[in-house]
Amino acid sequence: MRGLRRGVARLAAGMAYVAGWNYLACALFITFDILGRSFLGISSSATVEVTGYMLAGGIAWALAHTLAQRAHIRVDVWVNRLPLRLRAVLHLLSLLLLGAFAAFCAWAAWSLVDESILFDAHDNSALRVPLVLPQGIWAFGIFAFCAMIVVLALDGALALLNGRPEELDRLLGSRTIDDEAAEALEAVEMARKP
Amino acid sequence: QVPASLPAGPKVSVVAVTQPLPTQPQYTRVDIPVLREEVAQRSGGRIEVQLSTHAERNLSGTELVRLVRSGQADIGASTLSTLSGDVPILDMVDLAGLAPEIGAAKRIAEAMLPVVNRDLERFGARLMVIYPFPAQVVFCRTPFASLADLRGRKVRTFGNSLVDLVTALGAQPVSIGFPEVYSALERGVVDCAITGSGSGVAARWPEVTTHISNLPVAWALAGYMVNIAWWNRLDPQVRAFMEGALREISNRQWELGAAATRDGIDCAIGKADACRIHSLAARPMTEVPATEADRTALREILEKTVLPGFVRRCGARCGEVYNQTIAPIAGIRFGG
Amino acid sequence: MIAVALMLVLLGVAVFAAATGGQAVPVVEILALTGAFLVFFGAGVYVAAVLGLLGVLIGLAFSDRPWWAFAGQTLWGPSSNFVLVAVPLFLLMGEILLRAGLSDRLYRALNVWLNRLPGGLLHTNIVSCAVFSAISGSSVATAATMGSVALPYFNNSAYSQRMVLGSLAAGGALGNLIPPGITFIIYGLITETSVGALYIAALLPSILVTGLFILVITVHGLRHPLPKPAPLPLAQKLRALVDLVPTLLLMLLVLGSIYAGYATPTEAAALGVVGAAVFAAIEGKLSLRLLNASAEATARNTALLGLIIFGAYLLNYLLTTINVPQALAGFIGGLPLPPWAIMAAILALYLALGTFMEGFSMIITTVPVIFPVVQALGYDPIWFGVIVTMLVEIAQISPPDGTVMYVLQGMRPRPGPITDVFAGVMPFLGAYLLAVVLMMIWPDIALWLPRVMG
Ligand code: NA
Ligand code: NA
Repeated sequence: MRGLRRGVARLAAGMAYVAGWNYLACALFITFDILGRSFLGISSSATVEVTGYMLAGGIAWALAHTLAQRAHIRVDVWVNRLPLRLRAVLHLLSLLLLGAFAAFCAWAAWSLVDESILFDAHDNSALRVPLVLPQGIWAFGIFAFCAMIVVLALDGALALLNGRPEELDRLLGSRTIDDEAAEALEAVEMARKP
Repeated sequence: QVPASLPAGPKVSVVAVTQPLPTQPQYTRVDIPVLREEVAQRSGGRIEVQLSTHAERNLSGTELVRLVRSGQADIGASTLSTLSGDVPILDMVDLAGLAPEIGAAKRIAEAMLPVVNRDLERFGARLMVIYPFPAQVVFCRTPFASLADLRGRKVRTFGNSLVDLVTALGAQPVSIGFPEVYSALERGVVDCAITGSGSGVAARWPEVTTHISNLPVAWALAGYMVNIAWWNRLDPQVRAFMEGALREISNRQWELGAAATRDGIDCAIGKADACRIHSLAARPMTEVPATEADRTALREILEKTVLPGFVRRCGARCGEVYNQTIAPIAGIRFGG
Repeated sequence: MIAVALMLVLLGVAVFAAATGGQAVPVVEILALTGAFLVFFGAGVYVAAVLGLLGVLIGLAFSDRPWWAFAGQTLWGPSSNFVLVAVPLFLLMGEILLRAGLSDRLYRALNVWLNRLPGGLLHTNIVSCAVFSAISGSSVATAATMGSVALPYFNNSAYSQRMVLGSLAAGGALGNLIPPGITFIIYGLITETSVGALYIAALLPSILVTGLFILVITVHGLRHPLPKPAPLPLAQKLRALVDLVPTLLLMLLVLGSIYAGYATPTEAAALGVVGAAVFAAIEGKLSLRLLNASAEATARNTALLGLIIFGAYLLNYLLTTINVPQALAGFIGGLPLPPWAIMAAILALYLALGTFMEGFSMIITTVPVIFPVVQALGYDPIWFGVIVTMLVEIAQISPPDGTVMYVLQGMRPRPGPITDVFAGVMPFLGAYLLAVVLMMIWPDIALWLPRVMG
């Protein structure tokens, strides 16, 4: 189970890196469009649409990794003061509710793709991008998010059943103290290194 | 007209999502008085229309067919070119350069209504009314005397057929979202922009542009759709009543379209006594009258560039439909 | 908690509306949903799931339409909206600057000038956030970047942890108000107002808010004096100013490209990213590792906001379907009161919503319906845009729900409850509210500059 979780998490991390580099590409694309328009008299005429798709894909493809990193936002003022066992149960409950929401989103995304197939829909840009492409990529990210939730929930439930609530707390508890600080400090450190 | 009365019966609640913005005259002068007020009044309160705009519903306008089809709204309205991504044939009704004056635009719209519905009805929606926004005209921040002067300028455009038109004029089409156009014109990110004469005035473009052409390059035709399942389920008396209301809307929107086109230009050029629908520009613009050469150029570009481009996007069948339905009115055939 | 109190007030308004307006407002149901909302939050459920599931519940309870058939479009619309592309771009710029050490240099340079004032390093927090805000359009990015730079300076220091966190959160809440800003872009998008004019109008108000924050810290510093560091020679202080140059050049690139007519406000964010990478290269810090780490962090923070946007838009769609915002706006607009009182009611509504809503979802839900009311009352759209942005910023730092506060809580080197952040931000929240009141009394704080320059 743990192996499966790690495998899925690695895949999710890979997708998140793709999402992040996609934003870098997006910045370059817009910059070239500005330069081309201002100095060369050329423009893609589809910047608005294409960068919008890049955003959608970027959001969806990083959802699973963000969950694995425990970075999705919760209000946990009360939860973190509860005794460990109760806290573990609430973590699992929160995850299941998130799962319900994510499953609904995935179903909705799939219906949208399905409808675009029915319409054979294209956008109104000069490129006439078939909407199935960006919407399909977007929906895939949401499905990966659902898969991550299922794997985490199974792993967490097993830990709870086997009487190891602290493991579940580590798996799902919000990243408040160590890891966030570690990351911020790592970033600052990268800056300080000559 | 809206029928004078409706026999008593169970209440009918209708959801309608119509114009892009709640401030547009198409909404305040037609939709609100007819759909919301007259319908409620004359049906004795039996029909109640819950009316809102795209902005209030957080919609961009492209998704209206899907909104109506899914039954979220019983009646939906949007411009045809924004819907053409989902239903390409809708673009045909309002190709750039097709109708030099509003009478032709109306004849084409009426002829096309049954034709586009053959495509739309597959998706569970039916177009009931096609209506115009004020004529699409060119606004520029520097002087120009004819369309030919646009060569080399950056022109903000939307929709495929206008992009084709602008490219054929030797200008550079730029894609910028409507809200950013004002500052783009102000700073010179673009030199010109095309939109409805009244819409440009409403967005305060006269503050950032100096010249406005009076040549309609297109009409931004739009349409009211209904959800077919809902429509067929209606009590026949209610349906007849609503049909009357939609006919009334059609008449008023065409009147408004004709009046608002000239009104938009008059407001832009600071003619206070003729400016009644939109608000008067603080800094009057210069009107650029259309020349015979402009009209000829527009027809030529329609034939050589815009039509072939449209048929390429929409498919060969669209070319045949065009030749059957529109060519006799417009006087230009696809493929010669 | 404030949220509960304000929600009760809101509920009271709804009941009053039902009693006077004739339109039936389902009070019991709203009460039940509010209760469910609070229980969900208390149980630590993901914010996005709370918003989204609340939307689903509202749909099932109140809508007679097959609303789910349109849910895909409701989620896709904001996901692929070009204007929101500015969000990851501003975040990415912040991450690159952070890892290239430019924000750290900015912080140290300002520190040299400010650390002997009463309140010491806390002033540096505010001023460095303000300067960073002038290149970044995102409050979250400002708080995250300057927070991770500043927090290590307070390790094992005698400063009040609450004030440290509070000042950084408040500084972060300048990110949108000081141009450029994402909120202005969205407001301009919805109301068709010139984003350039909004930026100019925001200048004096942002100076006002920054000044009030400095005042708060000075008062705190005078009441809790700490030993001052030794004074530095002037030459050293002047040399420190060199470290500000890259930041100023970036400011010139981002804002200059807008005003010189090369880029739209959304596009300027992309230039900022490229500019930040160029400065990182000049520093000799541009590496695959730096870009990789920045890309990952940007992806994560965008996804975190994206999921909330999913939930918020779903909720928003269903609230709009059952006419809640419209009914509320109609009710407020129809009150038999003078315009300023109605405006005060609108502001109160925003404050109430802001305690538990995200800025984005708040603007997107309310502005389309409130804006016509505001125009009808005769208020200036530019002024209202600045006010709304200030209210969104206030929402970001008003407990219990505010992204800026969560981000800082996430970066604390020393563990502690999030209530520390809540408590620390309170005096700054007060100062921000005071600025809003001053803007109500003297609208020219926002309108004078655009008039003179226009
Ligand atoms: Na800013
Ligand atoms: Na808040």
